[in-house]
Amino acid sequence: MSLLHIENLHVDVAGQPILTGIDLTVAAGEVHAVMGPNGSGKSTLANVLAGRPGYDITEGSVTVDGEDITPLSPEERSLRGLFLAFQYPIEIPGVSNMEFLKAAVDAHAAGRGEDPPSAVDFVKRARACAARLELNPDFLKRGVNDGFSGGEKKRNEILQMLVLEPRLAVLDETDSGLDIDALQVVANGINAFRGNGNAVVLVTHYQRLLNYVVPERVHVLADGRIVHSGDSSVALQLEERGYGWLDG
Amino acid sequence: MAGLTADGASLAERVLELGTTGYAPWLDRTPHRKLIEARGLPKLRAEAWRHTNVTRWYDAVLSGAETPAKRTRLELPEGVEAVDFESVRACELVAQRGEETFSLAAHPLAALNALRLGAGVAIRIPAGVAAPGPVRIGDLPAAYQRILVIVEADARVEVIEEPSTYTHRLLEAVVQPGGRLSHRRQQAASSGRECSLVAVRTEADARYDLAQTALGADLRRNDILATLAGDGAAVEIRGAWRLDGSRHLDNQVAVRHAAPGGTSRQTYRGVADGRSRAVLNGRIEIAPGAQHSDAMLSTKNLLASDTAEVYAKPELTIYANDVKCSHGATIGAIDDDAVHYFRSRGIDERRARSLFVRGFLREAIDDVEAAQRLGVIQ
Repeated sequence: MSLLHIENLHVDVAGQPILTGIDLTVAAGEVHAVMGPNGSGKSTLANVLAGRPGYDITEGSVTVDGEDITPLSPEERSLRGLFLAFQYPIEIPGVSNMEFLKAAVDAHAAGRGEDPPSAVDFVKRARACAARLELNPDFLKRGVNDGFSGGEKKRNEILQMLVLEPRLAVLDETDSGLDIDALQVVANGINAFRGNGNAVVLVTHYQRLLNYVVPERVHVLADGRIVHSGDSSVALQLEERGYGWLDG
Repeated sequence: MAGLTADGASLAERVLELGTTGYAPWLDRTPHRKLIEARGLPKLRAEAWRHTNVTRWYDAVLSGAETPAKRTRLELPEGVEAVDFESVRACELVAQRGEETFSLAAHPLAALNALRLGAGVAIRIPAGVAAPGPVRIGDLPAAYQRILVIVEADARVEVIEEPSTYTHRLLEAVVQPGGRLSHRRQQAASSGRECSLVAVRTEADARYDLAQTALGADLRRNDILATLAGDGAAVEIRGAWRLDGSRHLDNQVAVRHAAPGGTSRQTYRGVADGRSRAVLNGRIEIAPGAQHSDAMLSTKNLLASDTAEVYAKPELTIYANDVKCSHGATIGAIDDDAVHYFRSRGIDERRARSLFVRGFLREAIDDVEAAQRLGVIQ
């Protein structure tokens, strides 16, 4: 069974149609890339999956593991295994990364009807995930994204993903703002995560990240619809020829 | 300029009719009585009182509704001298304090405090002594109270004002050259009406830190005045408050740089919920000649409901030309994007808001334990 199934999805933002009939199916174990020019609706797709307020579904359906997620709150979606890496992660001064992660992990444990992990187990786990992203343990003590560089914010999103182990991770332009070293570190994190019965949707403008995280499928979004799908070679064609060749 | 009470008698006259207590007979109350006779008492329309209906406080004064504690709660570390304010020794310590730490004309409620004074303590930390533990001041057995703290040269002490009930409390402190006073104030939620004045003078290379955590009361007004009187003095004031229901908190803070090379930092974080009202007027004054002063004030406020009120006003008065001063004030709602960010990680909305508020207040609190006890954070 497909892990993520999107059918004929129409979404309005502030009364304007942004997505106009998206069909997308991602099976467990797969990585799909969604590419497209600015304004094509990539971030809208990512945000609507996470249940961000202000995105109105006017038609169509989204299921995860066969369950319609559209009536669910953002936290319910998270507890069912959906994770969005934000394009612009939010700064929360005064709340440490550790505290934030613990609150999330505890909420997930409660959602499964389990006791929260012990503080020792949790810290071990958070540190191990941080080390995999070549983040100093002090990173966990800092305020969430507070004063982080662009690259640190993106790595922090991947850190949260590794700690929460979602079923479906949607990464919204996680590659933007990364230098080449950071890009490799982030790619390593995604590669370590992929497989194991989960699925990843990479939303990106550039082919760059796909050199390191090779997707099973690439979809091209334009004007709110998927206009082309293919294997990873599509990304290379886009890189060479730009998005213009898909017109008409 | 006296306000009028309902029966037509002047408020000031009625307050004066209450008479003077016999406590601390060495204290000459003549200037206090004269000030009230000549200038009356402040009323709501005065600029400094525009957000606090002080008439309601006078009701408490006139009715004697206050129910002060019956005994003194005071904890002293070794090496610290403390005497009842009534004693002759207290009179000597007041003399040692030197010139007044505030002007009576600017703080007329202090005149009322003197007339009605019923309890107090004078504390001295001898030169060079680092107090091995904090001085804890809890209840004092009267509605009108005075506390005097003298930190002699190069002495160090922490003074903790624990939650307590009073109608008016005046705390004066002098930090002599090289001394250090860390002052923590904890104000619990209360149905009372209370006013307080903290007036501190820091001399050369002395340091005063204030960390205040407060919940509102039916009426609570805190006046804080810190003067950097010697070269290289330092003052740091941090205040965090959280109000709900119909509670009220009015903070009027002035930091006065009267000597060169002083450093002051003011950081305030407040959250107002329900129909509460929070006020912060923070003033920085740089006196003529106080060159190379470095002053900063930051106040950030969250409105957690549509019916809460926050008034935040930073003021700068600068009479020297080679100084560094900055200030910032914000009032906003809880950030929806931040709440969504928490929720997207599985954290429900209630917990998300609570974590957000806690993080927000933390910028002005490091005494997490006291803050938790006060419910300022969870």
